[in-house]
This record gives sequence, structure tokens and C-alpha cells, in this order.
Amino acid sequence: MRPVTTDGELIQRAATGDHSAFEDLYHRYARPVFGLALRRLGDRGRAEDAVQETFASIWRSAASYRPERGPGAPWLYAVARNAIVDRARSRTEVPSDIPDEAASGPGPSDRVEQGWVAWRVHRALEELPEREREVLALAYWSGLSQSEVAEFLSIPLGTVKTRTRAALAKLSDLLGDDLQ
Amino acid sequence: MNNFDDLIDREGLSPDQEARLRRVHDLLVQAGPPPDLPPALERPPTAPADAEVVQFPHLPRRRLAIAAVAAIALVVLAFGGGYLVGHGKPTSFATKRVVPMHGGNALALLRVAPRDSAGNWPMQLEVNNLPTQHDPRAYYELWLTRDGKPLALCGSFRVNARTTTVRLSVPYNFKSFTGWVVTRQAANEHEPGPVVLTT
Repeated sequence: MRPVTTDGELIQRAATGDHSAFEDLYHRYARPVFGLALRRLGDRGRAEDAVQETFASIWRSAASYRPERGPGAPWLYAVARNAIVDRARSRTEVPSDIPDEAASGPGPSDRVEQGWVAWRVHRALEELPEREREVLALAYWSGLSQSEVAEFLSIPLGTVKTRTRAALAKLSDLLGDDLQ
Repeated sequence: MNNFDDLIDREGLSPDQEARLRRVHDLLVQAGPPPDLPPALERPPTAPADAEVVQFPHLPRRRLAIAAVAAIALVVLAFGGGYLVGHGKPTSFATKRVVPMHGGNALALLRVAPRDSAGNWPMQLEVNNLPTQHDPRAYYELWLTRDGKPLALCGSFRVNARTTTVRLSVPYNFKSFTGWVVTRQAANEHEPGPVVLTT
């Protein structure tokens, strides 16, 4: 269930001034960009600003995308990451006290890996039918059991299971190489 | 969090299919929930459809292209900032012409309304990314220029960190000028300061 138009094709069309292509990119990536910014910046207001800057950068620099160097998603990820890092740097304050011990959270490489995974997964979720995306969200992130999801949505338990499996299968196709 | 065996009916799945679904499951767990988009980001940016981009005489074609990109980018920024969603002002301002301006990382969009019965041109200037001035007496000015030289003052304003929108009005005949600039003005400075935005 690949998108009819690839990200790379949309970027190339946006580079020629095609507004509809740019809007399609926005629909596909607004949420992943916002999620990435929120992870990195930890503040919704600043994350909103970073989304604005990311899409302005995409519009400005779309002509620099080279399809022979790879698909569009990594290029978009790089543009978003740069905009978010710029936003983070612009507000970085010097800590008054230097901690004695290293932070226990994930290191930079782990954070990049986590960011990329979330980026791809959230982007793929945008391609699912609403009813399947809804079931997945409830099943994975609401804390409800399958039976409670069925009750919440007023659908049979079997339908919840069918939709969950179908959604995972579609995500499997969409994520492709990321499953290796 | 439900585990894979609770979530998925594995009946009829081949080992390979099950492995792929397990991998997707693991990625979903690792990714976490996608964020809810704030209202300001829910709709994609749109360009004004009923306005023309002003082409001043002597404005080189290359700079027009840059200006057009700046205009679109500003629309993106303004929309993303919630301005269009939250206030809807662009639709309430009868735009006849749009003049994009740019400089460094800053962008601006000057909307010009039809001339009123008294002979004034109402204008709305949307500015994004101009540095906030810490001196409360400092400000920016919009000028009409001829051959790059600021000649006619159109108004003064200050900016916040995001998109700032101000309304201005001037009685000038635009045909006498070749462009616009925004200058940075220090306190008590009465001559045009350094140009920070230009057409």
C-alpha cells in the first residue's frame, strides 16, 4: 500500500512551485515533524515554531533534493532535524551548575535512532485508514484492553482484532526496509 | 500496554508473517504515540489566491523569483503560527496587491488594499523572523524607495518573536517609486537606518 506519489516526487514538484505538492507533503509530515520537534525541544510552543521553520525550509530548499541520492523521507528528516537543532540552539542557556555525573538518559546516537524510528512510524500511520489508526492508538497507547477497545468503539472484539492485524500488516508494507 | 500475543490473532500466519508483525509491533512500542497537532498546525498552508504580486519597475527577474518564494514561505510561517486560523484577518483585509519582502532569515508580506475614497492606500504588513529589539525605544520603519534609496516613510512598528501584523495607510502614488524596504531604527534616530528587508 505505497503512496501513489512518492515523497521524492512531491519534493521535486514543490521545487517547481507546485503548491498542491507542498500541501501533500505537509499533510504527510506535519505530525512526524511536530513529534520530532516535541521530543527534541520538550515544549509545544517551540515545537510549533520548529514545524513552521521546517516547512519554510522545505519550500526554500526543495530544489536541492537529488532523487538519485535517495528517497525523500531521509531528506525531509534531515531538513526537519536541522530546523529543530537550530531552534534548540537559539534558546540554549548555559547551566549555572555543571552536574557531577553524566545524564542517565539515551545518548545522542540513541536519540537519533529513536527519532528516526518515530518519524517513520508516525509517517506510516498517516497512510492507514482512520478506523485502523484509531484501533491501533487505543490498543497501544490508551491503556485499554482489546475488550475495552471493542466496548469503547461499540464494535465486536473480533473486529478489533481483525483491524489491528490488518493495520500491522499495512504498516509492515509501508515500513519496508525499516523492518530489516 | 498490550503485548503482541494479546493484540494479534496469529491464526493462519506463517512464521515469516508473524515475525514481520512482531517487528512492526516493536517499532510501534518504540515510537510511542504520535502527538496531537495543535490547531494552528492542522491545516496546510495556502497562498492567497485573489492577490497579485506587485512587480515594481526595475526589479530584476531573479529577485522576483526570490521574492515569490519569500511570499510563499511567509504564508507558511504565518499559517503555521496560527495567524490565519486564529484570526482570519487576511480574508477580512481586501487585498488588491501583495508585495513580498525578504532579508536574511526574515520575511514579510505587504498587502495593499484598494485606494479609499480619501485617496489613501490601506496596507497590512506581516513580518516574520525580524529580531525583537531589546531597547523599548527602538523600532522598524517601512519606506518606499526609488533606486534603492528610502524616500517616503510609510510607518513605524515593533515586532515580537513570531509573526507580527500591523496596519498602515499611505497617500503616495506608488508609480513614483521602485520598491520598498524595512529599516532598523535606533532610539532617537530620524534618518533611515540599516535596511533589513527589501523587495
